[in-house]
Formats: sequence, structure tokens, C-alpha cells
Amino acid sequence: MTDSPTLSFTDVEATICHISHIIEEDKLYFVQMAGAPLMALLLAKRLRSPAVGYVVEEGAICPDPDFPLPRMMLGASRSHYRAVQWAGMNVVDAHAALGFMDYGLLAALQIDRFGNFNSTHIGGTYDQPERRFGGPGGANEIASQCWRTIVMTKLQQRKFVEKVDFISSPGYLDGTPGARERVGLPPDTGPWRVVTAEATFGFDSATRQMRLDALAPWTTAAEVLDKMEFRPLIAGSLDAMEVPSEAELKIIRADIDPGGFSTSRGEWMTIDLASGKKVA
Amino acid sequence: MTQAPTIVSAGRGEFVRPDPDAFRAYVRDHKERRLVNKVISEQEAIARFVSDGDYVAYDQNIAVRGPGSLFREIIRQRKKNLWVMAKFTWTDVSLLIAGGCVSKVDVGWMESGQVLNQAVKDGRVKLVEWSNGALAYRLLAGSLGVPYLPMRYLGGTDTFEQSGALLTHDPYNGKPICVVPALNPDVALIHAHQADIHGNTRIFGAGVCPVEMAMASRKVIISAEEIIDAEAIRKQPQRTTIPYYLVDAVIHAPFGSYPGSTPGLYGADLEHWLAFAAAQMQGKTDDYLDHWVHSVSSHQEMLERRIGEEKLEALRQAETVKEGYYD
Repeated sequence: MTDSPTLSFTDVEATICHISHIIEEDKLYFVQMAGAPLMALLLAKRLRSPAVGYVVEEGAICPDPDFPLPRMMLGASRSHYRAVQWAGMNVVDAHAALGFMDYGLLAALQIDRFGNFNSTHIGGTYDQPERRFGGPGGANEIASQCWRTIVMTKLQQRKFVEKVDFISSPGYLDGTPGARERVGLPPDTGPWRVVTAEATFGFDSATRQMRLDALAPWTTAAEVLDKMEFRPLIAGSLDAMEVPSEAELKIIRADIDPGGFSTSRGEWMTIDLASGKKVA
Repeated sequence: MTQAPTIVSAGRGEFVRPDPDAFRAYVRDHKERRLVNKVISEQEAIARFVSDGDYVAYDQNIAVRGPGSLFREIIRQRKKNLWVMAKFTWTDVSLLIAGGCVSKVDVGWMESGQVLNQAVKDGRVKLVEWSNGALAYRLLAGSLGVPYLPMRYLGGTDTFEQSGALLTHDPYNGKPICVVPALNPDVALIHAHQADIHGNTRIFGAGVCPVEMAMASRKVIISAEEIIDAEAIRKQPQRTTIPYYLVDAVIHAPFGSYPGSTPGLYGADLEHWLAFAAAQMQGKTDDYLDHWVHSVSSHQEMLERRIGEEKLEALRQAETVKEGYYD
């Protein structure tokens, strides 16, 4: 037992906080329609970068949402509130094709060492899947056309895999130079960060392989590698990720995901704030 | 002489071969050019304009400004073998599958619960992969009267392999480029805020792609929360989203998006969504369909007998954001 203050949160909340720390106010973001990626951007917008601009697939351009958000954010009026334009999908996709979108913000079911990711099916074959999921949604166009893509997922063996069951959306494909350009994707684009609750990964500019860049204080590199099917490259010095703050968690729980409808459904942990280590 | 572009690779997904000339001929022979009254009932619209085996597209989804009343009428009339577009959708595809109406789905994104998974496993429903954007873009090609359009995504993925896209070369500069076939649905179902009796239609808010869909589709059914005076359209032409000659039928459908929201007017019914989710998990979608669809004869009767004015008023009150929609 410890007497120093602790903080409890889920892995989903931690991931949302981590991503919010890398949001840049002077860039434009293309965000997957709802869920944790949008929550991460909204947290940054609320706390640090009020002027950051983002678009969503259905065509709301740079909204300034009304908090607390409704449970179901998908296209709802409160999530489109005070946009600068209400357009449509072909318009915002074209803005990405034209090079206006600096970052894509997405979630994945499975990801491989080159950042190719899956949101289509797990197990079986395409025609006879063990479990079918929703599909790429807008992730393919976002991951292909934004300059940099940030992907969030959970750090688990079954998610960081040698070979994804289905490449729904492109990373660096087979990792060879020019692989994306050879299939018609715009040059100088691709995955940039993969963010989980415990670790953040980047990509090596020469080999296009995923590289462990940063660790949460409550874990170790060995523990992270243990939760991955493939072995990533490891940066020479690993950065330390911040522990979510009380202020961040309060905003997530009260305004962004009122009542923790989706963010509370994760793996809970309790962190000792003095040491950054897990106590439960 | 230029060389014909070579095809580098082709997806295996099934699609209807685009035929812009056939589309033109259809428009010449079937589309009404006169300003006539197109207001009919939902029963008549679905009976006349949706045939078994049709490709049916709809804008938005069962959560927001989707054609909820038309989904239910399609199920009520037991339409079969429809090919539906799951572009930026939610449980609407599962609802139509549960109703026995669907044999093929073009996938962008859809809710994928027990109903969909079982139908795919049993081979009752065949999926073809695209993406939300690729489907909207195929409608854009369809709306321009051209057979295909080049685009900067899909290439390199398994999504491409299971689609009908091609990887070819830009005929101008020789660089690799993906192309997708135009999509011209047989029917478009579009729910709108306002329409006049001729079909001039106003949609407020971000829209996915109602304009492209209306232009690309052979038959266009508009359900509208409100039928407005034709003179009001003439006074504010800027507000018209879809002009009358694209439209075949207009249905007056207050709360037509139910259980979804129509932005600016009413919120979504969260309890109803949970009821469908529960029915799906318990394998009781037949009971759900009986209660909400088959045991009532129309959308109006459903509103009266299954929901009631008190609940409808609560949904109106739940939509607190008005700014930007009607002002």
C-alpha cells in the first residue's frame, strides 16, 4: 500500500490523453467519424489548442462542438455545431487529396510492422470470416491522403501482428521504397505514430518499420515487446509519456464522453502519481 | 497516337458495369420534366419505384437524417435481393438484412453484429469492399455522367483486391493511378428537411452526398419532414439542395428519420437503438420487426400507436442545437 496520491483510469482514457498531447494547433486534422480518435482531438481542443481545425467524413468542416457531447456523436448536430462549413464527403476527401490535411486520426483492430491496418475481419477468410467488422469506413482515404497518419489501438499480441488478416487501409505496404507511390497513393504520406496506453511508436525513415519511441512510466520495454507478436525497432533513447492528469480525465468523463459510455469500457489501472508506477 | 493505358491490377469485387449512355436514355425516356405534383404515400412510392433486385442507395443512416420510414416500408413490402450501399451507415444494413430484403452490400462502414455476421456466414448476403469515400466518389462519377474517375486511394490494400477498382496509369503522365467505376443506383432514398410538391428539396447540415446520389440515381424518392410552398423555393433558390427534375416521388414524413435524428428538428431515440441491439443479441429481430413494422400499416400509424405525441415532443426538446439549420 502507498499513501501518496493515485489516479485511476482506463487504457482507452490514457490513449486519448497521449494523442491529445501530440495535437498541434497550427495543423489540420482529418478525424475518423466518432469514438476515441475524435475524443483525443476534442480533449486537445478543450484544454490546450482551442483553435485546432479538423474535418469529419460526413463533411463538417472545423466544428466547435457543443459540450457535453451526445452519447452518439455520429453526425449529430451537437458535433457539427459552429462549423465554418457544412459540406459533404466528396468535398472533405478532396481537401485531403489536395494536401490540406496534415494528420489523419484513426483507430485500428490490427496493425503490422509497416503500419498497414485492419478494420474488416478477424480470423477466417474474407468470404468466410470468423468475425466480420464494420469495414474501412473512411480510414482508407484518410490513411492514403493525409500527410501523416496517427493510429490508435490497444497494445496486445493479437493486435500488433506479423500479418494482419486484412489490409483495410495502407501503411507502408511491403516497406520497400516507393511502395505507396507504385499503387497510386500520393508521395511523402504514411503512418507517423501508433499510440497505445503503454507505448508510442514511430516509423524508421529508411526501412519503414515500426519503432518503439516512448513508454508510459508504468511499463518497461520488455513488457511492451511481450505484448507484440512482431519485434519492432527500438529507438536509441526512449521518451517518457505523461501520466493522464486529473484535469484531462475530468473533461473526458464530464464533457467528451459523459458518464464514460465508451471510455470506461477498457482495462482499468491505478497509478501512483509520485512514482508513475502501477499500484493496481 | 496514344497507347491505351494498361491495367496493372484489378479487384475481384462485383459491380454493375457503368453505362452512361444507357443512363442518358433512361433519363430521356422516364424522367418527368414538367412541374407536377409528385407527393404520394410511402406505400405507393416503394411499390412503384423499388423493385426486387434493385440497387438501393440512401444518404446518411439510421442515426442521423436517414430514411427510416422508407427502410420500414421496404421491409413491410418484403422487397427481396436488394443490393444496398453501406456508406457511412450504422444498424440500417442489419435492419434491412433482418427484414429479408438484402442479398448484396457494398461496404464502406456498417454496424456488424449478429445479424450481419450470420448472414455472411450462411452465404445469404455477399459483401463487396469499397470505403465510405470510394462509394461517395463512385456516386460523384455517376452524377457526372462519366464511366469512371481516378482517385488517390484504395491502391495497395486488400480493400482494393475485394473491390471493383483498377490500378492503371495516368494517360497523361504515366504515373500509377487507381480508378473506380461510376455507380448509378436504381433507387436513391433521401430524407430531407423540406421539399415542395414538385420535388425541389432542401437539406440542412453536413450531408455525406445527397446531391451526387440524387443526380446519379435512376429513381429518386424524397421523404421530407415538411412540404413547403413552391413559391418559398423561388424566393430563396440558394437553399435548394436538389432540383425537382431529378426527383420522382415526394413523401411527407414527419419524424421520417426515426429512430434517428433530423438535425435542427429532433434528437435520436437512444432507447429504440438499445431495443434493436437487444433484439439482435437475443436473436429476436422478428419480434422487433413485428412490433415496429409489420403490425402497423404506415409510418404515421407507427408514430401514433408505437411512439405517441409525448415521446415525440421529448425528442423535439432533445434537439437543443437549432443554429444554422433554419435561420
